[in-house]
Amino acid sequence: MESTVASESASAAGPPGSAAGEKGLKKDAIGLVSGIVIGVASTAPGYSLAASLGFVIGISGIGLQSPAVMIVAFIPMLFIAAAYYWMNRADPDCGTTFTWVTRAMGPYLGWMGGWGIACAGTIVMANLAQIAGLYTFILFGYDDPSTFLVTLVGVLFIVAMTWICVIGIELSATTQVGLLGAEIITLTLFAVIALIQVWTGNAGPNAIDPSLSWLNPFEIGSFDALVSGVLIAVFIYWGWDSTVTVNEETVDSTRAPGRAALLSTVILVLIYVIVSVAAQAWDGTEALADQDDALSVLATEVFGSPLDKIVIIAVLTSAAASCQTTILPNARTALSMARQGAFPKALGDVSPRYLTPHVATIVFGALAVLWYVVLTIVSENFLADSIAALGLMIAFYYGLTGVACVVYYRRQLLTSLKTFLIVGVAPALGAIMLLGIFIKSCVDLSDPANSESGSSWFGVGPPLIIGLGFLLFGVFVMLGWRVGHRAFFQRKLEVADPSILSNAPAGSAGGA
Amino acid sequence: MGTLVVGYDGSDCARAALSTAIDVAQAFGDDVVVVFAYELSRLGGEVEDYARALRERAEEVISHAVDQARAVGVDVSTEVTEENPAQALVDIAAVKQARAIVVGTRGEHPLKGAIVGSTPHRLLQIADRPVLVVPDV
Repeated sequence: MESTVASESASAAGPPGSAAGEKGLKKDAIGLVSGIVIGVASTAPGYSLAASLGFVIGISGIGLQSPAVMIVAFIPMLFIAAAYYWMNRADPDCGTTFTWVTRAMGPYLGWMGGWGIACAGTIVMANLAQIAGLYTFILFGYDDPSTFLVTLVGVLFIVAMTWICVIGIELSATTQVGLLGAEIITLTLFAVIALIQVWTGNAGPNAIDPSLSWLNPFEIGSFDALVSGVLIAVFIYWGWDSTVTVNEETVDSTRAPGRAALLSTVILVLIYVIVSVAAQAWDGTEALADQDDALSVLATEVFGSPLDKIVIIAVLTSAAASCQTTILPNARTALSMARQGAFPKALGDVSPRYLTPHVATIVFGALAVLWYVVLTIVSENFLADSIAALGLMIAFYYGLTGVACVVYYRRQLLTSLKTFLIVGVAPALGAIMLLGIFIKSCVDLSDPANSESGSSWFGVGPPLIIGLGFLLFGVFVMLGWRVGHRAFFQRKLEVADPSILSNAPAGSAGGA
Repeated sequence: MGTLVVGYDGSDCARAALSTAIDVAQAFGDDVVVVFAYELSRLGGEVEDYARALRERAEEVISHAVDQARAVGVDVSTEVTEENPAQALVDIAAVKQARAIVVGTRGEHPLKGAIVGSTPHRLLQIADRPVLVVPDV
């Protein structure tokens, strides 16, 4: 513990991160329960469902198969989580995709991966703020607040969360467990009561008895519809990979992280399937389609007053947790990029007072507010369009991570069948699926008719413009940044050290 | 000859605590252990670079403390640790069999202190040896 002042000056550019265990981390800081809590809290099931269920149901051709979409959407996520797990073993770095892709495939792709994360985080903050603003009013009984007021509260929400992240107030582990417990219990309660009402004939006039066939993805009429659905539903598992990356600090680090990832998976998939089944069984799909607050619409009718408030509270607390778990990794990716010379140096600053990456946090908060306000002024339907665009960005950087894993470990893939399957095939499949989703959805989204606003920009749908526009814009920013910051862009490609895999614990690849 | 453990984060009140600790150390012929402890949020994924940035920050801040103590001939050593600051001070003081723990009145922002509890306040509750709390005036 005794450390002399003769400091090991950490070289910012790609220090060997494989020295896990030297870093003075608390080895027993994260137990199994905390691992699950981090995974599920980062995913924010209540908010994710509220924000996306209506849009999945609203896709023409999905019909009653939205629960199946929830299941299918998880498969690429599981494979990509394997890539996260293995890359994190090689280099546990808070730049995640940015750092790993830079190592495996060079600085340009790495930079774009980091850009993808930054854009997706900024956009989701706006979506999140909108949900939080709306649900705040619904909680207090104002069912139809003006857009201005919702936006105002939403902006306040972002400001407050940014401030909390800056001054470093952590909800303690106990509070997190409590909040999440409440969220999960509430969603379960909602599903159970709704289903009981369906079976006893007390549900809405268009109630349908749930059927196992709802879980069958092959009953979806068109492949296009499935892809569109998955593109939205991928978003509800976004953040789940957090569990996989906190391996070092976990008690019993050879088994607990894998188990935590597996259990949080089961919890998430169950919640999504059961709640979506219950929601559409209660009064059919008509009432839910294209609702940006599908859960609050239903909760009022299922629970009746005043119990309906608990679903509102569940979504609100989920939105709060999600806000924190969005801005934290975003700020850290920016910090990592800044410290490696890929972003302005100031973004790598740590507040002397609060010891948090305050500049990066504030910059992202401000960008999110800007984006949210602009988005609202241009068009309210923009929200739905930007969720679709968000899927493009997530698919982009998750896919990139999958490819990076295969490329980085390419020399070890043939050492054993198990290695080949879990380090090579799984990430590759994940990447291929996400690439497929990316391309297919680009095609889909190019049709203006598929956008929420129904309008067309330059002859194509706004979501495509938003999604690709952000990525293209990134290319220009990157090239601009390269002028005067050559050092980062001269980084050499690296391959995995064979010792990483030989020291790997057996069978703990993120539940894979 | 004894040891004083000082909590130090580079803030004004931490500097006041250090000055007092140096004065006391000179008077008693004690040595000083300067401790920089911090906590990280593990929510939201990996923290490795962030932890490294904090550690660098800590090393830099703490080197000023060392210079200050050495300038007046006080023996000084340092500890940088990722742990709850109050708990870290208590633990290190136990290992060093320290005479006392010295901290500033508030290492935290008052508002943050009110919400999550301040380090001196927590320290007073868990310390098993004398604690000297120094106001920043």
